Amino acid sequence: MDKKTVGTKEGLAFGIIALGVLMAFMPSAAQQIADLEFVASEPFPILLGATYVLALLVILAGVGVLVAKFDDKEEDE
Amino acid sequence: MSSEVKTKAAPRRKRLPLTYVVAVVPVAAALNIVGGQINTVLKLPTFLDMIGTMVAAVILGPWWGALVGVITNVVSSFISGPIGLPFAVCNVAGALVWGYANIWGWARKNWSFFLVNVLVAFVVSLFAVPIYVFIFGGATGHFADVMTAAFLGMGQNLIVSVFSSNILVSLADKIISGYVGLAIIEALPENLTSSARLPKSEGLKRIIIPLVGVLIGVAIILLFLAIA
Repeated sequence: MDKKTVGTKEGLAFGIIALGVLMAFMPSAAQQIADLEFVASEPFPILLGATYVLALLVILAGVGVLVAKFDDKEEDE
Repeated sequence: MSSEVKTKAAPRRKRLPLTYVVAVVPVAAALNIVGGQINTVLKLPTFLDMIGTMVAAVILGPWWGALVGVITNVVSSFISGPIGLPFAVCNVAGALVWGYANIWGWARKNWSFFLVNVLVAFVVSLFAVPIYVFIFGGATGHFADVMTAAFLGMGQNLIVSVFSSNILVSLADKIISGYVGLAIIEALPENLTSSARLPKSEGLKRIIIPLVGVLIGVAIILLFLAIA
């Protein structure tokens, strides 16, 4: 029987991985958005803004790690 | 005595089976993508791309909801262009508010659940408005642009106009998403939703309460259309 379980730690880990994936997509997305006809912005400011917002979310994830309780044995009870 | 005290303490989140999480995350992301596509095709003045995010954030946890949000917007950007990708941060922010509100027990009663949805709308707008204004110059082709133009015509500046239109659309959208999510969670078996601390209702109320919530969202949309 499969007894593999996931908890808060794994949730936070996958959340941070998701933010990393989003960061990885942003440079090409910034260029594609800047290429749109109705967008006046340059790629650099778009990427800069996206980086700041994602940095805020990564900081929130760090705070999430700090406040989360990872006592797996107690959670299993 | 000590064991009695221990049971009265705040409940710890139970660990979830891996297979359950592996099943829920893609389904929730698919629900978001389908909702978003239906919204685009019908040209509705909402987004409908956070129903799955709400469900995942409540039954799995806030950061699983964030993962669902990122998957949704990354996959959507392959389908309908890169415009949706920067708004992934809005989906993540919504997941965190819904998820932590559930963990902290803010959404246990009907009125507080409604207020949590309003809070989600406000936080998502705080993230969305700078993206609209500084990246897209205030317009992305969404129905809300009509209302932004109306506010601009009244002499408001761009940021105020975008925020005013976005908060109305977001309010309707998050209330509808929250109550549709509530209906989905109530329809799931109880052992799969043990971590959800949402308003409990019995019998016909299980249908009526989500329906009333959705109707409030629709009423806000009608108000929005009247203004636009």
